[in-house]
Amino acid sequence: MTDSTTTTSTTTYTCRWCRSTGDGSGVTCTSCGAPIRVAEVTTASGWEKLPPIPDLARIQFGQSHVQVEGEFVPVADFTLADGDSIYFSHHTILWQDTRTTLDALSRKGMIKRMRAGMPSVLASATGPGRIALSEDRPGELIGVPIQRGSGIDVREHHFLAATSPVQFEPLATNVWFVTGSGDDKETHYPLGQYIDRFTSPDEHGLLLVQSGGNAFMRDLKAGETMLLKPPSLLAKDMSVQMLLHLEHPTAAGWTSARANRFVWLRVTGPGRVWVQSQYEHFEDPGTSLNSMSNHTEQHW
Amino acid sequence: MTGQRVQCRWCKSPNDEGSAACGTCGAPLGGAQKISDSGWREAPRLRDLTEIRFGASMIQVDGEIVPVADITLGDGDSVFFEHHALLWKEERVALHAQSTGGGLRKMLGGMPFVLTVANGPGRIAFSRDGTGELIVLPMGPSDEIDVRGHSFLIGSHQLTYQFERIKGLKNILHGGEMYMDEFHTAGESGVLVLHGYGNVFERTLEAGESILLEPGAFLYKDGSVTINVEQQDLKTGVFGGHSLWLARMTGPGRVGIQSMYHHHAD
Repeated sequence: MTDSTTTTSTTTYTCRWCRSTGDGSGVTCTSCGAPIRVAEVTTASGWEKLPPIPDLARIQFGQSHVQVEGEFVPVADFTLADGDSIYFSHHTILWQDTRTTLDALSRKGMIKRMRAGMPSVLASATGPGRIALSEDRPGELIGVPIQRGSGIDVREHHFLAATSPVQFEPLATNVWFVTGSGDDKETHYPLGQYIDRFTSPDEHGLLLVQSGGNAFMRDLKAGETMLLKPPSLLAKDMSVQMLLHLEHPTAAGWTSARANRFVWLRVTGPGRVWVQSQYEHFEDPGTSLNSMSNHTEQHW
Repeated sequence: MTGQRVQCRWCKSPNDEGSAACGTCGAPLGGAQKISDSGWREAPRLRDLTEIRFGASMIQVDGEIVPVADITLGDGDSVFFEHHALLWKEERVALHAQSTGGGLRKMLGGMPFVLTVANGPGRIAFSRDGTGELIVLPMGPSDEIDVRGHSFLIGSHQLTYQFERIKGLKNILHGGEMYMDEFHTAGESGVLVLHGYGNVFERTLEAGESILLEPGAFLYKDGSVTINVEQQDLKTGVFGGHSLWLARMTGPGRVGIQSMYHHHAD
């Protein structure tokens, strides 16, 4: 690990996590909640550890704000101004006051999400009032400001909430392979069938993402690649490309037929990639492959 | 020489000046309470190896991610618990079972119908199987605290236990729990230790004041707080609708919630 202290100026401060600019006068970035004066921690391998949003830090959006509370399973506690609204998966509601108006959000891609086993109903909450959300797993909350005209791709089931200017669309990951034959064919999606794309075409928005365990980020240069365990991907810039990669370790004698193959996700820059340290295990049956998405392969 | 007394901000118990933690609930002394803009106060993070005393016994909190309640029971003291929360014990600690009544009904509701009692002297330790916080709730005489099922870790022998069936909450509280644990004291003070999953927050509702909770987030409440389930319909046009169930908690009294829970099945 290497440590270096972030240098800030009251006139030129740019948050290195969300890239928002500000006067740097506060303790935390008002756009994403990351601490301003914190020792950056970069692993020897080049991953930057995201600093947890400090307990009780506030992130401002419009006339509203969200306060992050707790450290194991942090809570996003929204104070919504009159007319401001957020949307979220309804199962993340922790509490609300009696003034907040709840409604269902009908969104493009509902059918696709239902087919993929994702929540078909997104709820919206409109101020004035207060409402709090949390996921049911330990991890970190990551505030992702989305500038006008930009966007980000988030692994399914990891979006906690978005402000109303943020638009959402599920996209096929196009990372899959099929095992078996005949009636026993089975399609596997190491990354899930869909990834959620959040964009903000008209005005600035805020997205909250919850990682499993700790979150790490690296900024890939154009053409730079990394191989990731597919379920560890948390989010990526839209510019980052994904591809299935299969790797076959060398083996001799009878073990050659039983040697495991490794299923990877190849990510290629330019752009940022976030990974999480706790994720569900992807089970590769190890049986012969019938077909697969575009991919690269390595036989050792 | 008379030492000054310091009041614990969490449980209000007096402590000797210079103490690092409250001897009654384990909350660190000194430092400001963490209260959110919306009025929830964070439960105190009990420091590793904090000691809490009750009667002739002592609870030491071991660990921080999935904390353990490591209890040294004095002679004649005892604690009761659900048997699956037991982590280890010394051989000399005697155990006996205590029926809670309502055996078949509780069994069908997935609740323990037998509590286990450990009698001192000796050491015994407990933990739940999830990341979270230990919450120590001292109870004065003639007190009542209600707790969601499967959330209490131990109760001291001064407490009596009963359960209440929650009408209208069948399949709404996580896992279809139909029962809530009620703990009472009579003439003596006692201590109740809970395990909250994730982070724990508490607020005190004024008389008549209400807050709407996801039922799965509910952890504990004072006996004076009422709980009623309300249904909210989310309309989704051609797709029909979706029902959201929320628990209306109405004061006066304290309400505790946990941030990690399993959403109820609708």
